[in-house]
Amino acid sequence: MEKVKIFIHRLLIPHEENNFRAKSLHADFLTVYLVIAFLMMMVFKQANLHNVLGFATDISIDKLYQLTNEQRQKNNLPTLSLNSALSLAAQRKAENMLTENYWSHYSPDGKTPWDFILGANYKYEYAGENLAKNFLFSNGVVDAWMNSETHRTNILKKEYTEVGYAIVNGTLNGEQTTLVVQMFGTPIAGSFSPPPVQAEEISKNSLLLPTAKPIAENKVRQILAQKTVQPNMSAFKFTFNFNIIFMAFLLLALALDFYFASKFNIIRVGGKNIAHFLFIIFILVGLFMSTIGTIV
Amino acid sequence: MIRSFSFHLKKELKNHLFDYLLLITAGIFFLILLNIFRGQRVTEFIILVAFALFYIIWGVYHHIANETLHLKTVVEYILIAFIIIFLLKIIILP
Repeated sequence: MEKVKIFIHRLLIPHEENNFRAKSLHADFLTVYLVIAFLMMMVFKQANLHNVLGFATDISIDKLYQLTNEQRQKNNLPTLSLNSALSLAAQRKAENMLTENYWSHYSPDGKTPWDFILGANYKYEYAGENLAKNFLFSNGVVDAWMNSETHRTNILKKEYTEVGYAIVNGTLNGEQTTLVVQMFGTPIAGSFSPPPVQAEEISKNSLLLPTAKPIAENKVRQILAQKTVQPNMSAFKFTFNFNIIFMAFLLLALALDFYFASKFNIIRVGGKNIAHFLFIIFILVGLFMSTIGTIV
Repeated sequence: MIRSFSFHLKKELKNHLFDYLLLITAGIFFLILLNIFRGQRVTEFIILVAFALFYIIWGVYHHIANETLHLKTVVEYILIAFIIIFLLKIIILP
């Protein structure tokens, strides 16, 4: 225990044994951090953290579905079941936005969300659509929707019974982006609609899916394929959290080093802690800003 | 401790007011540009690199102005700037 105490003292507090500068801020330690950061960058590049378009996000259909239902449960509403036809409509809508280069509920040639839903052979009594882009995390998407009155109304509409999702990466208006499309619906009683697919079933192998008509099975497979566009999500989340923790550690080391060096009037050769501190704070704010996308 | 920290912080900022205002202004520009080009990953990364380079230049300028420039100091600014660039590259431009 005493050894740990001495180690932390040397690591964070400037005194004669660490040449009056916190060991964690010495050039050799900074070089080690740099090498680790470089290796991480190379490993994640080799491990194909990104998809073909060079994107890394931690948005998943399972998480969006779970968060949406949590919001409904909080408001004493029945949960929605995941519907493969609505997911197919969402997928087609996302692809159409990328192909025709627009960011709206309505396409330039007049296609409405309802056209995509009907095109997926989903006969609805009620239907709705939420869109989001540029988010890094699923909870960011659902939080943004919940903070917007119109999107919130969709999520909490008691008439809806089913939901479908698509997460598609591509280039929109020259900007590489991740589009999230959420389609809601209530089928007309008695009309054909592919059977609802539960989230647990979707995450399993397609062979485990319930037997359905061939057309529905095909759609489910397409949704499964679409999910594979988001690889290694936990690795991305790990990297994001690692960055936050590492920067918080650096901020702590800089603050303690500055405080004790000022307190004991230590004069030494080295960079200005306040400048490093400000630089890292701006970077952290920028990092959090990059997690926020836009919704329509 | 917090009062003492705040006292030393104010003293340091007051002694080099122009330099720190310059760095804070650059930081605010960095955030504004990030906001304008949000979602354009390559541009975001270029903005990050530009801010990191500015930070190194700021460090050199500040220490020249205070006649405290030393190779060790420059290396420290370069190391911190590149650690941040490498770490954020994984997120912004994997």
